Amino acid sequence: MSSQATTSNIAMNQDASLPNPKKWLTIGAIGLLISLVGLISSPIGAYSYLVSVLFVSSIAIGMLFLVLIHHIFDAGWSTVVRRQAENFLSVVPYLGFLFIPLFLMTMKDNGLIWIWMDDTASLHGHGTVGEDVLYLKKTWWLNETFFWIRAIICFGSWAFFARALRKHSFSQDSDGKAEHTFACRKLAAGGLVVVALTWSCAAFDWIMGLEYHWFSTMFGVWFFANAMRAALAVLVLTCTYLVAKGPLKGIFNNKHLHDLTTLSFAFCVFWAYISFSQYFLIWNGNIPEETFWFNYREEGIYFYIGMFLVFGHFLFPFLFLLQFKLKTAHASARFICCWILFMQLFDLYYNILPSLKDSHGEPYQMFSSPLNFVWFISGIVGVVGILLWAYWTSFNKVKIIPIRDPRITESLNHSH
Amino acid sequence: MASAHSSSSEPKPAILAEVNPVDIPRAAMVDNNRSFNWITEKICGIIEEKTPTWWWVLFIIACCTASFTLFGLVYLVSTGVGVWGLANPVNWGWAIVNFVFWIGIGHAGTLISAILCLLRQKWRTSINRAAEAMTIFAVVCAGLFPVFHVGRVWLAWFLFPLPNANAIWPNFRSALLWDVFAVSTYGTVSVLFWYVGLLPDLATIRDRCTSKVKQVLYGFFALGWRGSNRHWRNYEMCYLLLAGLSTPLVLSVHTIVSFDFAISLVPGWHTTIFPPYFVAGAIFSGFGMVLTLMLPLRAVYRLEDLITQYHIDCMTKIVLATGTMVGYAYGMEFFIAAYGANDFEIFAFVNRAFGNYAWAYWIMISCNVISPQFFWFKSIRENTTLVWIISIFVNVGMWFERFVITVTSLSRDFVPSSWGYYSPTVVDIFTYLGTFGLFSVLFLLFIRFLPLMAMAEIKAVTPQADPHHH
Repeated sequence: MSSQATTSNIAMNQDASLPNPKKWLTIGAIGLLISLVGLISSPIGAYSYLVSVLFVSSIAIGMLFLVLIHHIFDAGWSTVVRRQAENFLSVVPYLGFLFIPLFLMTMKDNGLIWIWMDDTASLHGHGTVGEDVLYLKKTWWLNETFFWIRAIICFGSWAFFARALRKHSFSQDSDGKAEHTFACRKLAAGGLVVVALTWSCAAFDWIMGLEYHWFSTMFGVWFFANAMRAALAVLVLTCTYLVAKGPLKGIFNNKHLHDLTTLSFAFCVFWAYISFSQYFLIWNGNIPEETFWFNYREEGIYFYIGMFLVFGHFLFPFLFLLQFKLKTAHASARFICCWILFMQLFDLYYNILPSLKDSHGEPYQMFSSPLNFVWFISGIVGVVGILLWAYWTSFNKVKIIPIRDPRITESLNHSH
Repeated sequence: MASAHSSSSEPKPAILAEVNPVDIPRAAMVDNNRSFNWITEKICGIIEEKTPTWWWVLFIIACCTASFTLFGLVYLVSTGVGVWGLANPVNWGWAIVNFVFWIGIGHAGTLISAILCLLRQKWRTSINRAAEAMTIFAVVCAGLFPVFHVGRVWLAWFLFPLPNANAIWPNFRSALLWDVFAVSTYGTVSVLFWYVGLLPDLATIRDRCTSKVKQVLYGFFALGWRGSNRHWRNYEMCYLLLAGLSTPLVLSVHTIVSFDFAISLVPGWHTTIFPPYFVAGAIFSGFGMVLTLMLPLRAVYRLEDLITQYHIDCMTKIVLATGTMVGYAYGMEFFIAAYGANDFEIFAFVNRAFGNYAWAYWIMISCNVISPQFFWFKSIRENTTLVWIISIFVNVGMWFERFVITVTSLSRDFVPSSWGYYSPTVVDIFTYLGTFGLFSVLFLLFIRFLPLMAMAEIKAVTPQADPHHH
C-alpha cells in the first residue's frame, strides 16, 4: 500500500472520539511491567502471566480461525466484519514476544511453571521429577529443546498466516485484483490444517503439560472451542462499538450482529459439548491416572469455579443467546459478550491455576492472597493493552471495510 | 442503544462510494438458467415415466440380496446368537460394526437438511431429499443388528423401560440403553423432517397425476397442501424448528454411539476425543454414501443442471475436511497413547498398526485419511468417475474403522490367555451383505415413487426466485 493511500486512510479512519493507539500501548506497557514483577517474584505471578498470554493468544488465534474459515467457505455475509478480525490479527506476531519472559524465567528457575523442566522438583512424597518413571517415559516429547522448538513453530506459523492474510486483504483494497482472494483461499486451506495442529500442540504443551501426568485427547479441541468463543465475543464488542462511534454506522447492520451472536451461541454449545464429554468420559471411566486432574479441581475455590463455569459459561449464555431480541440488540449483545470474555478468563484459570501446587502438594488457592489480584489484573490489563494498541494501529492504517472484496456488496446487502 | 440500521434520511457512509468489488461470480445452483417448469418436468418426469428396465433389474437383484439378511436372521432366531462368530473375548463383532457403519451413513441426510439449512447453504437443496431418504433407510438397516443381537428378539421390547411381569428394568447406566433412545428419537425426527419437506412436492405430483388412485394417495399424503401464503409461512416455521431440533440430535446419536466404547476402560476405546471424532467420521461416511448414490443417478437421469459441478465440489470438500478431521483424531489417539505412557494403551495402538489386524488398520488409513486427500486437486473433483471411486473407498474405510476399533481392542484384552483371532461366520457375512440389498430396495422404491429432489426448494435458489437480483 502506498504511503499516500495510507495517509488518506488515516485521515479517514482517525476520529477524535476513537482511542489513540499510543494510549493503549502505555496502558499495556504498565500492565505488563507490573505483571512481569509478578512473574519474577512468585509462582502465582508466573502462572498469572501465563494465563494472560494465553488469554490474548486465544482471542488472536480465534480471530485467525475466523478469517481462515471465512475464506475457506467463500463466505459472503461476514466480509464487513472480517476486516476488524484482520485488524486484530496484527497482534499475532507479538504473541511470541509476550512468551519470551516465560522462556527467560524458566531458564533461570526451571520448574517455575512447567514442573517437568526441573529434574529436582519434588513430587510431594513421590520422589522428584528426575526419578519419576512416567516423566522418564515422556522425555521424547517433554524435553526443553523440543518444547521451545515447538513454541517457535507455533508462533512462527501463526505469524506467517496472519501476515499473509492481512497483506492480501489490504493489497486488494488498493489494486482490486482477484488473485488476492484466490491466494487467501489457498492460505485458508493449508492454514486451517496447520493452525489446528499448532493450536492443539499449544494446548498440550502450555496447559496440559503443566500437569504432565495427565492426558486427554480432547484437550486440543477444547482449546479451539475456547478460542472461538473469545474471538467472537471480542468481534461483537468491536463492531457494536464502531457502530456507536460512527465508523461502521450504516454498514454493520442487525443481521450481521444476529449472525455473529448466533455463532457465539453455536460455540457456546460446542464448548459445553466438548467440556462435558471430556469430564463425563473421565468421571465415568474413574481411573485414578485421569481423575486426579479433576479431583484437584474440586478442592477449595476451584469447585465453585467449576460450578460457576457450568452455569455461567454454558447455561446462562445458552439461555440468553436463545432469544432473538437479546441477540440483536446492541446493549444486550455487548453485555453477554463481556460476560463470555469474563467467563473465558475463569475457564483458563480453572484449567491452569490448580496445576500450581503449594508446599503440601495441594492446588494453590488462587484467592489466597490479595497480592494475587494485582498479578491477575495487571496481566490482563497488560495483554489487553497490547491487543488494542495493535488493533487501533492497524485500524488507522486500513479501510474500514474491504472495498474491493468480491463479496463486499453481498455483505453490505445482507438483510435476510 | 445504538441502532445499526441506517434510515433513508441519514447520509450513507462515505466509504460506500468507494466500494467496487472485484468480479468473482458465485456458482449458479442450477446450470443453464433452467426455468421453474423445466425443474418440475425433470423431477416429476422421473416418477411419471414408464418404469425403466434397469430399475426392474436392479430391484430384483436388490430383493435377492436382501433375502440374505432375511435368511440370516431367521437362521439366527431359530438357532441362537452362536451362529455369529462371537466368542470370548470378542463378544462384539460384526453386529456392532455394521450397526455403527449404517448409523454413520444415516448422518449425512439430517446433517444436510438441518445443519446446512441453519447455515443457509443453498447447495443443500439438490441433494437433501435423497440424502434424507438414505438416512432413514440406513437407520432401518442399523437397527436390525442390535435388535437381533439380543437373541430372543421377541423380547427386544425389554429395552424400553416398560413395566413387565418380571420387573426387569434396563440398566440406565449403560450407553447401549442410551442408544435405544437416541437412535429411536433420531429415526422419528428424521422421518418427520423428511415428510414435512416432501409436502409441497407431493402436492405438485398430486396435481399432475392422471390416475384417480394416485391422486387420492398423493393427495392424502400431501395433507391438503394448496401452496397458499399461510401454508408456506407455517411450513417454513415448522421446517426451521425441526432443523433446530434435528441439529442436536445429529450430534447426539453418534456421540452416544461413541460412548458405547469410550465409557468402558478397554485400551483403545477409553479416550476423550471419541465423541467429536465419531461425529466427524459419521458425516464423512454419510457424504461418501451420498456421492456413491447421487453420481450414478445424476448420470442416468441427466441431472447435471441440478447437481452441478459446484455441488460435487462442496460435497468432496466436506469429505476432505471430515476425512482430515478423522485423520487428526487417529493422530491424537496415537500421540496421547504415547504421551500418556500407559503400557496398555501403547500396546493397543501398536497392535492395531502392526498386530495381526494390521491389514484392516492400513485399509482404514488408506481409505479414510489418504484417499480423500486427492480431493485437494480440482482436476480430481471434476472427474466424476474418480470422485465416485473415492466415495466407495470412503465407505469401505469407514466400515474398517469400526472393525478396527471393535475387534483389535477386544481380541487383545487384559487376559493374554484368552486372546484370539476373531473371524466372522458365513451367517455374519451374508446377513451384512443382505442389508445392502434391503437398503437398495428401499432406495429404489423411493426413486420410483417420491420426488428425488426438493423441487420447491431448488426453485427458491434459482436467480429468478430472487426479486432483489443482488
